[in-house]
Amino acid sequence: MISQIFILSSKGDHLIYKDFRGEAGKDAVTVFYEKVTALTGDQPPVVMSHKELHFVHIRQGGLYWVVTTTAASSPFTLVEFLNRLTTLIKDYCGSLSEKSVRMNFALIYELLDEVVDNGYIQTTSTDILKNFIQTEAVTSKPFSLFDLSNVGLFGAETQQSKVAPSAAATRPIMSTRGDQGGKSEIFVDVVERMSVVIGSNGVLMKVDVEGEIRVKCYMPSCLEMRIGLNEEFSIGKSQLRGYGAAVRVDECSFHQAVKLDEFDQHRILKVCPSQGEHVVMQYLLSDELPSAPPFRLFPTIERDNGGRLLMYLKLRCDLPPKSSAINVSVTVPVPKGSLSLSQELSSPDQKAELRAETRAVHWDIPRFPGGAQLSALFKLEVPGLSSASMMEVGPVGLSFELPKYTCTGLQIRFLRLTPVQAGSSQRWVRYVTHSDSYTIRI
Amino acid sequence: MSASSAFSDEKGGSSSVGEPEYGHDPASGGIFSSDYKRHDDLKEMLDSNKDSLKLEAMKRIVAMIARGKNTSDLFPAVVKNVACKNIEVKKLVYVYLVRYAEEQQDLALLSISTFQRGLKDPNQLIRASALRVLSSIRVTIIVPIMMLAIKEAASDMSPYVRKTAAHAIPKLYSLDPEQKDQLIEVIEKLLADKTTLVAGSVVMAFEEVCPERIDLIHKNYRKLCNLLVDVEEWGQVVIINMLTRYARTQFLNPNLNECLLEEGGESTFYGSDADQDEDEDEDKKEEALSKRKPYVMDPDHRLLLRNTKPLLQSRNAAVVMAVAQLYFHLAPKAEVGVIAKALVRLLRSHSEVQYVVLQNVATMTIKRRGMFEPYLKSFYIRSTDPTQIKVLKLEVLTNLASETNISTILREFQTYIKSMDKDFVAATIQAIGRCATHIGEVRDTCLNGLVQLLSNRDELVVAESVVVIKKLLQMQPEKHSDIIKHMAKLTDNIQVPMARASILWLIGEYCEHVPKIAPDVLRKMAKTFTNEEDIVKLQIINLAAKLYLTNSKQTKLLTQYVLNLAKYDQNYDIRDRARFIRQLIVPTDKCGALSKYAKKLILALKPAPILESPFKDRDHFQLGSLSHLLNTKAGGYQELPDWPQDAPDPSVRNVEVPEWTKCSSREKRKEKKVEKPFYSDSEGESGPTESADSESDSASSSASGSEQSGSGSEESEESEERSDSDEEEEEEEEEAKKRKTQKKEPIEAVQQSESEQSSEEEVKKRKVSKPPPRNVSESESDDDEDSPSDSSQDSESEDSESEAEVKKKKKITPPKAPTKPVKKEGKKEKKEMSLLDFDDFEPTPSPQVTPVGNFLSSSLVTDLEGLSLTDTVLSPATISPSGSLKSYELLHRITGEGLLVEYCFSRQPFLPDPHMVAVQIQFTNSAATEAKSLRLEEAKLQSGMRVKEFPEIEVLPAGESATVVMGIDFCDSTQAANLQLCTHSRKFFVSIQPPVGELMTPSFMTENEFKKEQEMLLKNLGQLMGMNEITEKMQLPERCQNEHAIVQRVTAAANLSRVPCGSDKECSSPAPPPPGPPVHRFAGRTVTSGSLVLVTVATKESGPSQLTINCEKMVIGTMLVKDILLALTQ
Repeated sequence: MISQIFILSSKGDHLIYKDFRGEAGKDAVTVFYEKVTALTGDQPPVVMSHKELHFVHIRQGGLYWVVTTTAASSPFTLVEFLNRLTTLIKDYCGSLSEKSVRMNFALIYELLDEVVDNGYIQTTSTDILKNFIQTEAVTSKPFSLFDLSNVGLFGAETQQSKVAPSAAATRPIMSTRGDQGGKSEIFVDVVERMSVVIGSNGVLMKVDVEGEIRVKCYMPSCLEMRIGLNEEFSIGKSQLRGYGAAVRVDECSFHQAVKLDEFDQHRILKVCPSQGEHVVMQYLLSDELPSAPPFRLFPTIERDNGGRLLMYLKLRCDLPPKSSAINVSVTVPVPKGSLSLSQELSSPDQKAELRAETRAVHWDIPRFPGGAQLSALFKLEVPGLSSASMMEVGPVGLSFELPKYTCTGLQIRFLRLTPVQAGSSQRWVRYVTHSDSYTIRI
Repeated sequence: MSASSAFSDEKGGSSSVGEPEYGHDPASGGIFSSDYKRHDDLKEMLDSNKDSLKLEAMKRIVAMIARGKNTSDLFPAVVKNVACKNIEVKKLVYVYLVRYAEEQQDLALLSISTFQRGLKDPNQLIRASALRVLSSIRVTIIVPIMMLAIKEAASDMSPYVRKTAAHAIPKLYSLDPEQKDQLIEVIEKLLADKTTLVAGSVVMAFEEVCPERIDLIHKNYRKLCNLLVDVEEWGQVVIINMLTRYARTQFLNPNLNECLLEEGGESTFYGSDADQDEDEDEDKKEEALSKRKPYVMDPDHRLLLRNTKPLLQSRNAAVVMAVAQLYFHLAPKAEVGVIAKALVRLLRSHSEVQYVVLQNVATMTIKRRGMFEPYLKSFYIRSTDPTQIKVLKLEVLTNLASETNISTILREFQTYIKSMDKDFVAATIQAIGRCATHIGEVRDTCLNGLVQLLSNRDELVVAESVVVIKKLLQMQPEKHSDIIKHMAKLTDNIQVPMARASILWLIGEYCEHVPKIAPDVLRKMAKTFTNEEDIVKLQIINLAAKLYLTNSKQTKLLTQYVLNLAKYDQNYDIRDRARFIRQLIVPTDKCGALSKYAKKLILALKPAPILESPFKDRDHFQLGSLSHLLNTKAGGYQELPDWPQDAPDPSVRNVEVPEWTKCSSREKRKEKKVEKPFYSDSEGESGPTESADSESDSASSSASGSEQSGSGSEESEESEERSDSDEEEEEEEEEAKKRKTQKKEPIEAVQQSESEQSSEEEVKKRKVSKPPPRNVSESESDDDEDSPSDSSQDSESEDSESEAEVKKKKKITPPKAPTKPVKKEGKKEKKEMSLLDFDDFEPTPSPQVTPVGNFLSSSLVTDLEGLSLTDTVLSPATISPSGSLKSYELLHRITGEGLLVEYCFSRQPFLPDPHMVAVQIQFTNSAATEAKSLRLEEAKLQSGMRVKEFPEIEVLPAGESATVVMGIDFCDSTQAANLQLCTHSRKFFVSIQPPVGELMTPSFMTENEFKKEQEMLLKNLGQLMGMNEITEKMQLPERCQNEHAIVQRVTAAANLSRVPCGSDKECSSPAPPPPGPPVHRFAGRTVTSGSLVLVTVATKESGPSQLTINCEKMVIGTMLVKDILLALTQ
């Protein structure tokens, strides 16, 4: 049972407030914000209590999404509900930000009215709710093709001539006005997140790749879409087939709307996407990668005579030469009390700095082409450097983004819509791999 | 809304663009006037005739509400539009009303009459939202109105409205708790509802209003279990939680006799990790069978576990967790393992979900470590995890540590120590300490590792390590004197004051174990005393005091020296301490009293700290609950009840399936029909089985019924187990059991296997012949949902019965012998009542003596209909005379060259398309040769008509007959459908002409509804096309005077359902039938267009009776009048 729902901006502004049961006072919002800000640390606890009132909150889109409850209801329900609510609002308003929430008060109130009745969750399905919702979303500005950035373009590889900006997929599903409304487009994202631990001897200790195929659909009518995956796609270790170049995952789960009758034979997912964003397929690959991990580090760390710490880092990118990594950031924890940093980097666009608050050297590489090798020499002034302090160096953490690349090798062969619509529909495919946690021990 | 300034109202048009924001107080001078003006504009729009203008106005008003503006002065203008036809407008008006219902109750009261009208709107969405708004008004005056509205909505045709009614119940309850009893009645009624849409909501209401009335669940338990998969996900969570509580009160603890269970109990057969040898298993099985295991899981318990298992795949974390806690609290130990994987899967979700999952996993790992051991790696910490999650994962890893995996875990821990997150590092060191205390073999390794950490430069690491080492050493100080020695050596190197202090404390505390080193350490410390940090100085004093007391010979002088140094220290804490210690330990004349106890005071035995998980005692809270997460009792938390000592009566959950025919006739039929087409067997099986043993578990479906043979409840349990197809061993067991039964009752066994075969084939055939709405799977729940197809099969087979059979059946029908089996009748009556939940609807005044055969078949059918989850039919008390189906000839034997084709209207819903009339066609091959490929071709149809052909019959051997069902959409006309019937050699032109009575389907409604519909349609209220009423007077013949005859004749003439008669008050206790001339009402809807057909037969004791038919379709009405008149007067 939900007593209240409110949405706060990160600064504590009240964006949305709705009371369902009249059990808790209006001051709950203030109480909550005080509680959240009073706490230090990277994340306040999911459930917080104040007298008889329990706050459950999540953070998404830079906003606090909070429900309060007085009675014992399953925290899972509440957390999951908040997550669904964010998805819903994202679907209806296009994107999730303070701005979009501010501009769509009416719509969000109407949504909340339909979603929750007297504190009970009725439904959170975008499709069902479409029947009830009358208000239209307000978007800040029609997206322009000028904010093209190099990153995350849709269709950059599959359709050479055409690209759509990454912002194209952030508009509300229900928009009948304007020029963009009539366009029927489908965006398909293959997103993988990898978490890797590489031992100090260079051995791959742990690999996990979580991937998902995400479809965002703006087609008003329900068409059948066929998504063709790699033909050599196999699930589990047992059914490897083909001649080596197979794409393998360990576990696979599908959205309930996906029809799998052609999956076994031809690796085709059939789905009738309804409007909005859906995760069509999720998969997991663990313990094994089809190719080498994207980055290898060769560190040399020593103490020089002057009591300084020398770190010579050689970082190699093992991606295929065509691909490249972007926004690579290397974090090297350094001993406590490190004072200053002098650096020698191999190219001018890189940056490195010593941050006291994290006690680490951050080395940023905006672009890292596959097959290249970069090196950096850091000299740290550490007063009272002892052999024990050497133990405090490492492990090195990397964060990066690999556009147009999937580390499982999963590709979408084709995307067909039936019945074929003449020219009016556009299909976009995008691949990206993120680092979830990439750790190299020293 | 403080943020409203950023809002730019694009929809607002010219009037609001660029307008300044006004204060919330509309009564302030000039602002008011401009505000007023704008509202004037809105009022104008609202008063206009155009819906588009009204809509625009309403949208703007709602937007204003969202911005926190006061629009209450628009109330009258808005309320007017409640009657607006446009749904969008209406909805927005409701949004507006909800808003002011909460704030301005007086104004809201004005609108109540409009809601009451909304409650009668033909559109279900409007009805539902009217109820929702009405129930949201928190004013006590309208409690009776709300009560009435809820009651009415609870028996609404539309499940969506019934769902809303369920939601309204807690609202009314919170408004006026005195209504509880009445509300419970409504809940009881809604609990019996068979649509998935309602199930979740009504259980929510149940949980809030009357969670203690667990008895209301009994009758609905199996239904809820079976429906669960299809319920909307938030409903699933609530139902699962409720069922967990229910199961805890109704079933026995499956883990009570664990040892016995492990010996071939059910749990090992189902166990996911049953790794015993096959042979061993079999031995055990026989053993178990021979000595009759003491615990047998209630089949209903099993049903719950089985039906919730697939939900572990749900995309909703809340559902997964609900199932997980259900398994954890209810399943036998061996089966709990299945939830581990699902929970681990949740770890890939948002961090908030992860946090909650890990809390629960941490609790589970304490009790059931083995379950999560295979997933150890999933709990490894990622550098990007937030601290909370890291700490929780650490907790789980620690709980999972065992002799086998400790080395891996420790290696993992070592890397965590390098983390930058201090809290996390501290937690890691503590975790190492806990591992060391629990696993003796690694204690030394851990200690050594921790000792190495002492040389870390990070104070926190050192301090934490020393604390943990200290704790470890306190457990067995005598064994680890070498570590104390080692630590003593470390004093030379370690500079961190905290660590030095800790070491000194340790040496002082255990100076007896290191008698030689301790004085030496003190000597060194005394040397450096002046340069030490304060905390170290204090510990030096402590050490000196302890040594002085134990070993005064060697240390007397040293102690004096240290105390003297301290006496002149800059820090007065230290000076104080020195003075205090000196007085205490050095006996002087002045204070002898205290110094006697100095040794006891200073060298008192300090208790060893206990290292255990903070999650240790959390499992007394229900997993997944808020209380568990907070580790305190949250408001409204309901304790999970303990298992009962003795199982409560399981038969309370029985929902009886009515008898079909008498046993004897069934057996005869069976013998006769050995060579008949297979599906006829299943019918023969289904009914009598239950009648033979009323205790058998009859899951109210003919499908499950057909699987059961007549050998009692044991068998039924088996059949339930059977459908759990992923376990193989269990089948062996079953076979063993079967062998046993074979000995006892060979005939029964043969029958059983036979019926099994046939039912298997039936399933196969069903798969081939027509795609059912959902996949036919082995699980029982699916079978239940498919049951309408079953029922149609049933009726097919009915037709294939020999004529003698039919005659016999007719004999049984009571109009001719109404009092025949008196005893049975009574018993049956009772059962039927519970099956059909009569008490939920109108109280049937007296044992309504209806044709047994008809009644039963129809009730079975309707029961199944209810399960089919379609919204249209919920018609328990229909009386459709399936026994006396009239069949018509389609092709004569002679024209058909030996092929005789007959058809009849089976009156079953035609599943592939509800707008079609099901026509059952029977082919009988009386020729000498076999007929091949019987099919329909190129039907020449009137415009609009549609035909769904039956699957081709490939071969029909000579002398055999076959029955198929096809669907025809007659477009609500009695025009014949002209078809072309083909065999492999010939084509015949045939036509099927429906009697008007077959163009409709029964529609269930209560008397009130009936009257309401009749009235409303007559008055032409709300609907533009009026309903025609046709009235005929007639003289009923003598034998047609009684109720049964009328009912039978009308329902034979037309496929209508009887409207149960009773008092006007719904839901009241059974009242005597109203005196006066009886009026019989029948209701139905036409198949294609779904227009209502209402038939009223008013008999009078003397004089002509009156037949009234209300129907939108004039033609149908006229024809129906003729037909029914004919039927009644002949």
